Amino acid sequence: MSRRGRITLVGLVVAIVAVPVLAHNIGEGNAAFVQSLTGPALAAFTYLGAKHMVTGIDHILFLVGVVFYLHRLKDVVLYATLFTIGHSTTLLAGVLAEWSMNAYIVDAIIGLSVVYKAYENIGGFENWRWSPDPRAAVLVFGLCHGMGLATKLQELTLSADGLLVNLASFNVGVELGQVIALFAVVAILAWWRRQESFERSAYGLNFTLMVLGFILAEYQLAGYFLSTNGTA
Amino acid sequence: MKRRVFAAFGALVIASILTLAFVLPAEYDLDPLGTGAILGLLGLSGQTTDTSRAILAPMDSKPVRDVRTYSLPPFASVEFKYDLAEGAVMIYEWESTAEVVFDFHAEPTIGGEAATQSFSQGRTSGESGSYIAPFDGIHGWFWENRSLANVTVVVKTNGFMTGGTEYRDNDKIQVQIGE
Repeated sequence: MSRRGRITLVGLVVAIVAVPVLAHNIGEGNAAFVQSLTGPALAAFTYLGAKHMVTGIDHILFLVGVVFYLHRLKDVVLYATLFTIGHSTTLLAGVLAEWSMNAYIVDAIIGLSVVYKAYENIGGFENWRWSPDPRAAVLVFGLCHGMGLATKLQELTLSADGLLVNLASFNVGVELGQVIALFAVVAILAWWRRQESFERSAYGLNFTLMVLGFILAEYQLAGYFLSTNGTA
Repeated sequence: MKRRVFAAFGALVIASILTLAFVLPAEYDLDPLGTGAILGLLGLSGQTTDTSRAILAPMDSKPVRDVRTYSLPPFASVEFKYDLAEGAVMIYEWESTAEVVFDFHAEPTIGGEAATQSFSQGRTSGESGSYIAPFDGIHGWFWENRSLANVTVVVKTNGFMTGGTEYRDNDKIQVQIGE
């Protein structure tokens, strides 16, 4: 089997494993369980972190946009690392320093990050006098995604006892989830790029990403305005 | 470049339409385009933007106090249901001389038996609490004595019930409630 074929196969296996995780949404159950924990719970938080990432459609869509035109594994690793540095920083700082940001606003910005990346993919920033370095953009958006993760974690009242260990475990989980998701995405893209239809459908897919990113942002903004934060 | 800006704008327009048409009705019970009602998406979220559940709800009728006593021989069962309108409140207290199997459930007038919902069930010798009728219909208990001795069940209620029906041995008996 060719190298690409093997990557694709592994990617598909990983994706199939990820599907039950995606489908299994026990959000309220998780929250209740976490709230009952005192002290370190490595495995629980690692799993929660991975689950948050794999079921986080906004994070996944952004990653799809980021790796869409990255052919070389080296580049995928570079951008994934930049994203990781970004979201780890704000996740850790946000929870430890107890930054408070409205979750709806942060999630709306994350939605817009998807739009940004897809717009860049269709060449939206070509011929602009100044356009951000894609690597810097991924790092900065990583910071936003991390704030999103932090607000989700803050919603679960975490016991101070073992907070550092649990937080670190959660972050490790997020990275594991990211690896799983990236593997599946990169494998599917690698296979797809070999199809003749790719060039034509690339535009369509990025357009769809923009639509989805806007829907996400609007959905979060609606939540913001409908919640007491928006009307107070 | 202008084409791409136009594409981004087009994406925004499409996204807005989809959000207004499907996402807001499904997630927030908002239906600015009326599509939620047409497609039956409203209520998906389980949220009620219905603010008619008041903190204080004056009623047109006076509350009724009622007491029911049932003697259940071994393995006998009885069902008793009150008529309650949607939103009507009932405080209840029932006790039995020994453990019984019970099920508090309600059957809506619209929907009937198929739409029956059970709110509390188990095996115990009493329960007390409050109940706010989620719909117009009949609301009450099933008690079954699973022991080899006679058991007496006494239920006391105070609320806005408008009538009661006993279901025993395939008989349906309407009863007068109130003291």
